[in-house]
Amino acid sequence: MTKAFQTSAGIMLAPAVTLIGIFVLLPMLLTIWLSFQDWSTQTPFSEASFVGLGNFREIFGPTSIGRDFKAALLNTAIYTGLSVILILPLSIAFGLMVYQRDVAGGTALRTVLFSTYMVPMIAVALVWSKLYSPSEGPLNQMLGLIGIGPQPWLSSPRSALVSIVFLNVWQQVGYFTVLAIAGLTQIPGSLYEAATLDGANRREQFRYITLPLMRRTLLFSAVIAIINAVQVFEPVALITQGGPVGSTNVLTYHIRRVGIERAQGGLGSAMAVMLMLSLIVVVCALFAFVNRKDSE
Amino acid sequence: MSVAWTSKLALAAGLAMLPATGWAQSVKISYLTHWSPETVALLEAAAKDYAKTNPDVSVTVRAVPFGDLLTTLRSQGGGADGPTIGGIYDLWLPELAHDKLVAPAPEAVAGEVKGAWPAGVVSAASVEGKLYGIPNEIDVYALNYNKALFEKAGIAAPPKTWDELKDAARKLTDKAAGQQGFGMINSWAAGVVHPFASLLVSNGGELVKDGKPALDSAQAGQTFQLYEDLIKSGASDPSMATADANTTGPFLDNFVSGKTGMIIMANWWESALKTGMGDKFSNIATAPIPVGPSGDKPHSISYSWMTVVNAKASEADQKAAWDFLAWLNSPKSGKNGASAMSDILMSMGILPSRTSDIEAHKDKLGSAFLSGYVSVLADARPFPVVRGGQEFSESLQQTLEALQYGQVSAKDAQTNAQTDAASILERAAK
Repeated sequence: MTKAFQTSAGIMLAPAVTLIGIFVLLPMLLTIWLSFQDWSTQTPFSEASFVGLGNFREIFGPTSIGRDFKAALLNTAIYTGLSVILILPLSIAFGLMVYQRDVAGGTALRTVLFSTYMVPMIAVALVWSKLYSPSEGPLNQMLGLIGIGPQPWLSSPRSALVSIVFLNVWQQVGYFTVLAIAGLTQIPGSLYEAATLDGANRREQFRYITLPLMRRTLLFSAVIAIINAVQVFEPVALITQGGPVGSTNVLTYHIRRVGIERAQGGLGSAMAVMLMLSLIVVVCALFAFVNRKDSE
Repeated sequence: MSVAWTSKLALAAGLAMLPATGWAQSVKISYLTHWSPETVALLEAAAKDYAKTNPDVSVTVRAVPFGDLLTTLRSQGGGADGPTIGGIYDLWLPELAHDKLVAPAPEAVAGEVKGAWPAGVVSAASVEGKLYGIPNEIDVYALNYNKALFEKAGIAAPPKTWDELKDAARKLTDKAAGQQGFGMINSWAAGVVHPFASLLVSNGGELVKDGKPALDSAQAGQTFQLYEDLIKSGASDPSMATADANTTGPFLDNFVSGKTGMIIMANWWESALKTGMGDKFSNIATAPIPVGPSGDKPHSISYSWMTVVNAKASEADQKAAWDFLAWLNSPKSGKNGASAMSDILMSMGILPSRTSDIEAHKDKLGSAFLSGYVSVLADARPFPVVRGGQEFSESLQQTLEALQYGQVSAKDAQTNAQTDAASILERAAK
């Protein structure tokens, strides 16, 4: 009986496992293998030559390759950190506002918030590059009305990356608000009624009921927000090209430049492996942190 | 008539038509470029003209932004289904040829090009003596300045030396009005590096000498120092210098709106200036690059573009592509003895490089804006075309941008630029 069950399960799982193996695991293993090779992306794999840890030494070394990679890794970390720090609280705040059933126009507000997520990035990039225009941009004109001088936005290495983060937050917050609303609907209303009877005010209800019971939703949102942010590519390629002074040169854009434009496939693969490892470490650390909190 | 007889007649008719259909077999080739939709329309019109005498060949044109051109060529050019023809920047040729992505020109085409183009341009389209592309445009850098702003600032003539350049930049700067004297460019490798290189060669220096970087020279040191002086004095504002993926953006907006007094740019941006300025385009004039303290006379940087053929395309496609390119660049395809390619280039204000095209367009090349560029062409130095050139250019871009934003001193910028360039070129040469 058990053997028949195992055979049947194996047969049913085989198509999915085969597809995942071919389209997910194989490219990942290939990238890891290439990261130890000196290989031009314009030549067959057979022409790759083993260089051991040479590519990893290069990308962490003192030359321009290492300097650019480390700067891109740092830019990606800053972009990801800022995006998550801004998106999660905003999504909960919007979620709480939109979730109130007795607020008129709640559904319309929910639709508006989610609609930003549906706008193609090319349109977002076109609009935001004009919004940020130092001379004729509406943002600077609005700031001028309240007495604040023109800001350089994308034209300064100090503000360019943050400006791209704002664009990302604007586009993604609607999606995470929907996730937050889904989490809020899972909290039984009776808990709030009991808390109200016990004299808890809104702030205490939020702190002791909403936040703890939203922990799993927040963990899921954080993981998705991190993965989305680490993969940022389009706004950089469409608006800033990694500049000025490499301040918006994030890892995905840098890997494209090294691996495709310069055809340095081995170096590009080593960078991709480091990006993947960083992502795994961060996500595992996040899960470990939340699990520890749960057991406490 | 019975079914059997009908079938036999149909078979006989089919067999009789076979040779004719064989001759009429069509060849479809594609042309990848970074040109604007208006220019693409001109190229498509030329392709239609070609099809009148070559009905078996159809040419489709595809355009991508300049920032994506090399990536598209590298990612799609490696297969037979990639673009058959590509317009490329000469700096990319050594590595594309090394990676066997572009095909050498057939003997007949190579012979024609060697006889009809200046030797320097032919050399930029060749690797190890083998011609890979048909050159079309040549671009050269010069100083563009706004005559109205000069008059307002009481400056009678464009600067001839670096001291005059700094003095004019100072007089043209009006921070309260958001106006800078001298415009730099950032976030675009060629836009950053070419103006710097033009000032460097006008100061008697070189970027690369005998295949090795020469940024540790005294002339280069003075050029880095000039940048630092312009930035520190406030005559050049890096936040007004940003370029976008289409090589437009704030640096262009600021010049066309009269917020930048002077800038070093190539002739090809004539059409962008005309579009942005309208009637005020007549305020813009061209002058040679100011000479540095170690220079003898004005020099600038030139570079060329060419059309290459995909080495992985089928033999028939390659043959059709070379035939189309030979026609497109020949004096019989355009007006009044000019090539159709040169007519397309001139519509954008770009200088053609074929000798007969320069002669055919001499009236238009004598315009107030372009004549300034034509006059500096003879003393222009070609941008070094070496393996690793693109990476070298991007690395120097980073260093110059760091200098623009005050992140490094001129001295440190020079040291970093030389160290990075030495490592990049040495690795690429292996």
